[in-house]
Amino acid sequence: MAEEREATYEIPSDLAQIPTVWRYEILRYFRSRRLLAALAVVGVILSVIYLLPPLYDSPYSGTDTEVSLHIEFDDLGSGIPEYVGSINRTAIDGGTLEVFVDGEPYPSLDGVNWVFSSREAGGLGFNAILFMPNVIMQNVSEVTATYEWYTPPESFASNFIGFVSILVIICVTAFAADSLVGEFQNKTGYLLFPNAVKRGTLFAGKFAASVTMGVVVVGLYYGVVAALSIVSARGVDDDYMLSFLLAIEYLIAATAIAYFISSLLKGTTGALVLTFFLLFMILPIVDGVSMFSGVKIEGSVTFAAGAISYILQDPYPADSMMDVGMGMEIHSFYPSPETAAIVMLLYAVIGCMLSMVLFKRKQLAG
Amino acid sequence: MIELEHLTKDFKEIKAVDDLTLEVPRSRTVGFLGPNGAGKTTTIKILTNLISSSSGRAVLNGVDVVTSPKRALANVGAVVETPEFYPYLTPMETLHYLGRLRGMSPNDITRRGKDVLDEVKMTEWKGTRIGKFSKGMKQRLAIAQALLHEPEILILDEPTSGLDPRGMVEVRETIKSLKKQDYTIFMSSHLLGEVQEICDSAALINRGKLLIYDTIEHLKTVTKVAKLEVTTDLDVPPQIMSAVNSMPNVRSAEAVNPRTFVVTFDGSPDQRADLLLAIQKQGLRVTGFSPVGLPLEMMYMELIKESR
Repeated sequence: MAEEREATYEIPSDLAQIPTVWRYEILRYFRSRRLLAALAVVGVILSVIYLLPPLYDSPYSGTDTEVSLHIEFDDLGSGIPEYVGSINRTAIDGGTLEVFVDGEPYPSLDGVNWVFSSREAGGLGFNAILFMPNVIMQNVSEVTATYEWYTPPESFASNFIGFVSILVIICVTAFAADSLVGEFQNKTGYLLFPNAVKRGTLFAGKFAASVTMGVVVVGLYYGVVAALSIVSARGVDDDYMLSFLLAIEYLIAATAIAYFISSLLKGTTGALVLTFFLLFMILPIVDGVSMFSGVKIEGSVTFAAGAISYILQDPYPADSMMDVGMGMEIHSFYPSPETAAIVMLLYAVIGCMLSMVLFKRKQLAG
Repeated sequence: MIELEHLTKDFKEIKAVDDLTLEVPRSRTVGFLGPNGAGKTTTIKILTNLISSSSGRAVLNGVDVVTSPKRALANVGAVVETPEFYPYLTPMETLHYLGRLRGMSPNDITRRGKDVLDEVKMTEWKGTRIGKFSKGMKQRLAIAQALLHEPEILILDEPTSGLDPRGMVEVRETIKSLKKQDYTIFMSSHLLGEVQEICDSAALINRGKLLIYDTIEHLKTVTKVAKLEVTTDLDVPPQIMSAVNSMPNVRSAEAVNPRTFVVTFDGSPDQRADLLLAIQKQGLRVTGFSPVGLPLEMMYMELIKESR
């Protein structure tokens, strides 16, 4: 028997091949209209959410000039009787606060006359001017204040982050749903599979690329919202990064589900449609049943994804029940962040494992 | 070297490949012949890790492709059906993608890429996205990518399929030149002339079973059935046609025109000479007596007929 010739080039390891697959998958998305479409969605949604409130006379910040304060006598639990002037704004800049008594400036004098008190609870701010016990308050007819106010970062971010779970579904549909099945339906597998590369390697490279594209789009969304929050809300919410991490975890879990569908079905259209509607409608409808049944469906990935926006609320919302009469109760359930993280992780791991097994077994027999 | 050992593939109740055993020695070009649905593409798909076998082994360079596909395919270039390419890539980008997977450096890919694109006459299109390429262009590019990493084994599934006559000639010329470069080539085709022209040996399968596997030269000699075209200087009367039909070893005689008829003859060269004499004894002045069609074609038709 003739001696076999050695391969001219040394085949890279499985790990070394993954970045190659990843790079060309990324190139595919960068050259496709899907990325443009996803970015357009981001642009439109950001613009709408950001611009609509000011257009409808609800700006993110402003200056209230000589607003009348309603003065009440209260000891505020401190034991010291005080006059309290409530300010009807969630967040104000205490440094800009000026108080006027009967039209005349009434300075604080380092707390001799009054102090500014700001507290936050459940996303609502309580801002007040605490006047020191002073005879002057008994003889005045009007107390006014001038100050700059702004939307708190938590409220500002909440307006935008509610859309993130839908954005994740859009990304997963655009960048993952037909990734595996396309190789079979479009017959590009005839080109790729006869190479010295394992299906598992192809899977890993593709999965990484799909997640990367999702991270780019979702990351861009979070980045722009953070920038807008700094500009309009004078800062970013403390839990903003946690929300982003949960969003990325949801993206990975949803990508794993999309890959499972992609490895199971025979056509790209079916995979795209099923992925979108499963995450956008079918699972949320199942989640919605819990409102009436009273059963908390903690194992649902879309229910878990609620934590992405709830994490911004301070304090974190608690489960509740409302009796609406006629023996009916409506339940409001909220996923705990820890449980949500575990559920999404399980979806990601199990989804990846199942889809990789199916992808390896799938044959190009057509 | 390619070895198929008792290879079997079942698709539910259909046996696409049935206990196929075959060996393609190093540096040989073997044609894999069979009618549509014979199991050619299924065999090639097993060899290239596109589908799994039900039983048996498919071995490339001593490595089982089913159990160790990565190692087995390391030194193989393949064109299966007419593969689709990623439309967003150019030919050169496609070669870079596949070349990187095959362990080539970017410089090697660029250098080799130019060579192989030149070989298949695609240099002009190397920077154009593949999206709108014709089937023929894709087929040529498919051959280029198979050659890129200078593999020892080339597996080609109907490599001239979908090409225009000029493209077919060019691809055949490319394969012929590869033969001279020490490649081991296993190519399926249903074009008998193509196999006869290009290959050293041919394996014929039908319904998944190997019918015959031998060198082209030997197959030509063992083929006893031939079609002989007989031309005379005068019209051939019906009674003489009847007489020819009943001559020894004649399967049939059919008139092509009043002075020409074709005899399907199953006999040795000596018996063929006797046939000519017998026709002349009928009073016909024979001006032409020559075989028509390819010997391989005759054999192919015979074997297919027998295997049904």
